[in-house]
Amino acid sequence: MTTTKSSLQPATLGQMTRMGLRYLSGRKLRTVLTTLAIVFGVALIFAINLTLPTMMSLFNSSLSVYGGADIAIASATGASFTPEEILSRVTAVEGVSAASGVLRRQFTLPSVGNELGSANSVELIGLDPTGIQTVRQFAISEGRFLQPDDSGAVVMPAGIAELAPALGLGTRFPLISSTGIRFYTIVGFTAEQGNLAVPPLYMALSDVQAAFNQPGLVNQIEISVQPGADRTAVTDAILAELGSGYVNAAGLDNSDLVATVQIGLTVMNLFGVLALFLGAFLIFNTFRTIVIERRRDLAMLRAIGATRRQVTTMILIESLLQGIIGTLIGLVFGYGLAALLFSVLGNAFRTYFPSTHFELSLNFGAVAMAVVLGLLASLLAGYFPARSAGKTSPLDAMRPAAVNINRATRSSLIIGGILIGVSIVMLLAGTKTAVGGAVLFLFGMIVAAPGLVIPMARLFSPLLTLWFAREGDLARGNLQRQPGRAAITASTLMIGLAVLILMAAVVSAFGILLERLSDVNFSSDVIITPPSIGVYTNVLGADESLMQRLEALPEVETAASLRYALSSVNGTSVNVLGIDPERYTQVASLAFSQGDAETAFAALTSGRGAIMTGIGASTLNLQLGDEVVLQTANGEQTYTIVGIGNDIMSFKINAVFISQANLAADFNKREDVLLMLNYVPDTDEEAALAAVNAVLADYPQFTAHPTGQYRAELINTTSAAFGMFYSIAVLILIPAALGLLNTLTINILERTREIGIVRAVGGSRKQVRRIVTSEALLLGIFGSALGVLAGVAMSYGFIGAFSTIGWDVPYIFPAAGVVAAIIVGVLLALFASVLPARSAAKLDIIRALQYE
Amino acid sequence: MTILRAEALTKMYGSASQPIYAVRDLNITIAEGEFVAIMGPSGSGKSTALYVMGGLDQPTSGHVWLRDQDLTTLPDDALSRVRRESIGFVFQFFNLIPVLTAAENVAMPMILNGMPRKEALERAHTSLKQVDLADRATHRPSELSGGQQQRAAIARALASQPAIILADEPTGNLDSRSSDEVVQILRNTVDQYKQTLVLVTHDPRVAAHADRIVFIKDGRIVDENNLKGAGSAEQIREQLSRVALSEG
Ligand SMILES: Nc1ncnc2c1ncn2[C@@H]1O[C@H](COP(=O)(O)OP(=O)(O)OP(=O)(O)O)[C@@H](O)[C@H]1O
Ligand SMILES: [Mg+2]
Repeated sequence: MTTTKSSLQPATLGQMTRMGLRYLSGRKLRTVLTTLAIVFGVALIFAINLTLPTMMSLFNSSLSVYGGADIAIASATGASFTPEEILSRVTAVEGVSAASGVLRRQFTLPSVGNELGSANSVELIGLDPTGIQTVRQFAISEGRFLQPDDSGAVVMPAGIAELAPALGLGTRFPLISSTGIRFYTIVGFTAEQGNLAVPPLYMALSDVQAAFNQPGLVNQIEISVQPGADRTAVTDAILAELGSGYVNAAGLDNSDLVATVQIGLTVMNLFGVLALFLGAFLIFNTFRTIVIERRRDLAMLRAIGATRRQVTTMILIESLLQGIIGTLIGLVFGYGLAALLFSVLGNAFRTYFPSTHFELSLNFGAVAMAVVLGLLASLLAGYFPARSAGKTSPLDAMRPAAVNINRATRSSLIIGGILIGVSIVMLLAGTKTAVGGAVLFLFGMIVAAPGLVIPMARLFSPLLTLWFAREGDLARGNLQRQPGRAAITASTLMIGLAVLILMAAVVSAFGILLERLSDVNFSSDVIITPPSIGVYTNVLGADESLMQRLEALPEVETAASLRYALSSVNGTSVNVLGIDPERYTQVASLAFSQGDAETAFAALTSGRGAIMTGIGASTLNLQLGDEVVLQTANGEQTYTIVGIGNDIMSFKINAVFISQANLAADFNKREDVLLMLNYVPDTDEEAALAAVNAVLADYPQFTAHPTGQYRAELINTTSAAFGMFYSIAVLILIPAALGLLNTLTINILERTREIGIVRAVGGSRKQVRRIVTSEALLLGIFGSALGVLAGVAMSYGFIGAFSTIGWDVPYIFPAAGVVAAIIVGVLLALFASVLPARSAAKLDIIRALQYE
Repeated sequence: MTILRAEALTKMYGSASQPIYAVRDLNITIAEGEFVAIMGPSGSGKSTALYVMGGLDQPTSGHVWLRDQDLTTLPDDALSRVRRESIGFVFQFFNLIPVLTAAENVAMPMILNGMPRKEALERAHTSLKQVDLADRATHRPSELSGGQQQRAAIARALASQPAIILADEPTGNLDSRSSDEVVQILRNTVDQYKQTLVLVTHDPRVAAHADRIVFIKDGRIVDENNLKGAGSAEQIREQLSRVALSEG
């Protein structure tokens, strides 16, 4: 006979796999229910990772600022710069054949009075008509290309005419600019389809500089290389020549948007992982049952010479099999889910990006991630039961099991209690440890749950006897018999409900925060906003003329504005908001968490002072008084943090407020993107608004709102967005429901013979059904009670942690969430009990008695 | 030649202050090709002795030598290997894994040992033929009668050609006809293949087929009978009741 040390030979593993499949198919219902848990998590993760990255790359490609030249160079922050010196340095680089400065920018169009078909953004591309043709060629399909003395002439892709048939050669159309509305005439079409979501409009450089109020500036250098020169090498040489302030424009993307989508992706993935974690809980539960159920078989294997490792491996193989099946089905479902998402979103996308290939494609990363997580979750869930299977004594085949439940549950109570104790200390110790404490609390509850089953059942069963006089006691006994299983089921429910309560608490805390911020923020009478707030990158603002005209109105006492530039600190992108402290403080303020308004605003104008948002300060790890190096259009500049404060528009992003004078000097930006006005006392507000709107007629990118009304709308939309997020969180209850279903089903399978006896001695079908229902109710109440405790602790911890990122909110007991959680928990249990109760009631007495 | 030797074997349960001796200072030697029956009243320690001698359990003190290997000093993995390579077990109940066919059950120890499935199944078939169960090779245990199940368990014990087979009341659950079949098969393997066999039984008619009977009471050997396969059931029954009534 082969002498082997490693007892895991292919033949052995093959036979174990065969056995695993047979065991699994021998308990089909349970296998299906357990597999579903994995299916759900894997499908979620797979669908998310199939959809979002595809869309993100679509965004990226459509928003890429790179044109058709061999090389394009931009400043690192995307800021504009004077081209002369840079151009001469670039052309001196070996291998460069020609270079030309370009000023290009996308911006959102106002929703009314838009002549460019359905596009809601355009990109103006200002070109030096002669210079650019030494760099790249434009194929003209109709009309002509730009000429050196052109003014108000536009060349655009022929594809646009499909969206806006009214546009033809010679058409004159209006377009917003930062100095009011300007008119342009179409002189030619290029033979390209173009990106119809953001149609490019080619114009003379001087026209675009005028439209953006950036005379003499460009934001890109397009470069052609000499024939035979290595493009990569030339690019490197140029970048080396220009230093760290300049980058390859081909590598630029819309970092704001990408960052947002990336955060979304991470959150959704966390969600999928949580679902999978709950799925793993179910598998763990099932496999513990399996190991107990199969004690004799395992012991017999040990008696005939299976090693501990072989027995452990056998159970692991079985959980892996289940994981493989669940993962495969999950991939199919996930693909279906992604396809559904694509078909819903696809139509919208196809209208805007006709030239891009919009198709759901399998990417290896998504498959790999879903598969790895799915299999890992099932293996992990199988691991502990498998290890305890390995410890089966060969003698167990011959003797009834001696299980000491009391000892096990007592130690779980002790360890869980210690964890909970530590977590409470962490929760109360301060905001830094609060999140850790919240998570630890949840963990402690999971550990303590088996020990809580018996006391909880005792506590709640009197409640149950109100409806189920006799059956309630039986149900209690049933739960107490398998405290581990009841505990895990209740824990799954607990996690789902705790997340529910946490979300409710976070949403209401957010509401309070918004109210608070808007109190300090919205003290003006009128607020004048661009088409999109928050993402100012695509906003085409106004030059000084708008504010001057508004201030000239007799009704207006003060006007203040917000300006915008993009910067970065050590590679992290930071929004820079320019304010004029003197004006700004008359119409609005910031909610300060470090420093105070008076000194902070005063300090903005002396040297380079900056007020940072709470999020910014915490991501960049900055305190009041620290220095921060901002990447600007004119190299790196050091600013001093003179305050940490938030405003309602930018409190969720990395941002600094600096003076408008500094913004102009360091970032070459003078555009107002948002304005606020105060009326003189006792003004007729309606008439005043009409006067403001008359001025805004020349700047249709702006809309004026009475501040009170705007504030209410903003809070509403923000709450609605959160509400959506909230409803997604409810999905986490699906695995919890599956867990209940699974446990109730296992309990019934396991007690088939007992149910047969109950029926044989005269129990009615109805009584059997009521036993199952009351058992489910008890589980539901138990899970809800745990969930409420965990939810309260979690919300306390997480909301406390808000203050570490600069959002100070008081903790308010999430009463509504708690009530909702209890109702949901009990309803879920009742719902999950319907099928098991019916199947238990329907059991054939004789067959049940013979069940092994 | 000696196959198995137990020396001062003691298995104690309970606490040191209230010890229960299942086996107490037991000494026994089993020679190659010998068929030994163990008899004794219920609770006398027969099963315990058998389990300890077969490496299913560790003694409190004493030694068990299988050929020249002391089982009481082996770590678990080595002991598992001894069980699958050198010892065959037959129990009274639950001998077979329900999801495996008869042939697969028989092949299991060999497969656990890494033998390719095909080869293991071929050997299993040979072994099933020996117990006259070849036609049931592909049946699951639930499709076999009690006697057939015991024969499949014996086939499994035989298949790896172990140094010794240990059987704990293999016929305890069977009617007299099935019981006769099973004992006959066991006797044949001893005669034909010089298989060493230790068998615990309450049934004098089963014990009558043994070469030697060892009587146990309160964990100790109290009597022996060297029948050489020629004893009568009646005589054994008398001897058994004498043992049962004697002073411990
Ligand atoms: N795990 C255990 N814990 C405590 N006592 C035990 C244990 N196993 C066996 N015993 C005791 O050891 C003694 C011998 O038991 P054993 O099973 O070996 O007897 P037996 O001779 O096989 O009996 P039977 O003929 O009824 O099978 C009995 O008194 C029994 O109570
Ligand atoms: Mg016994």
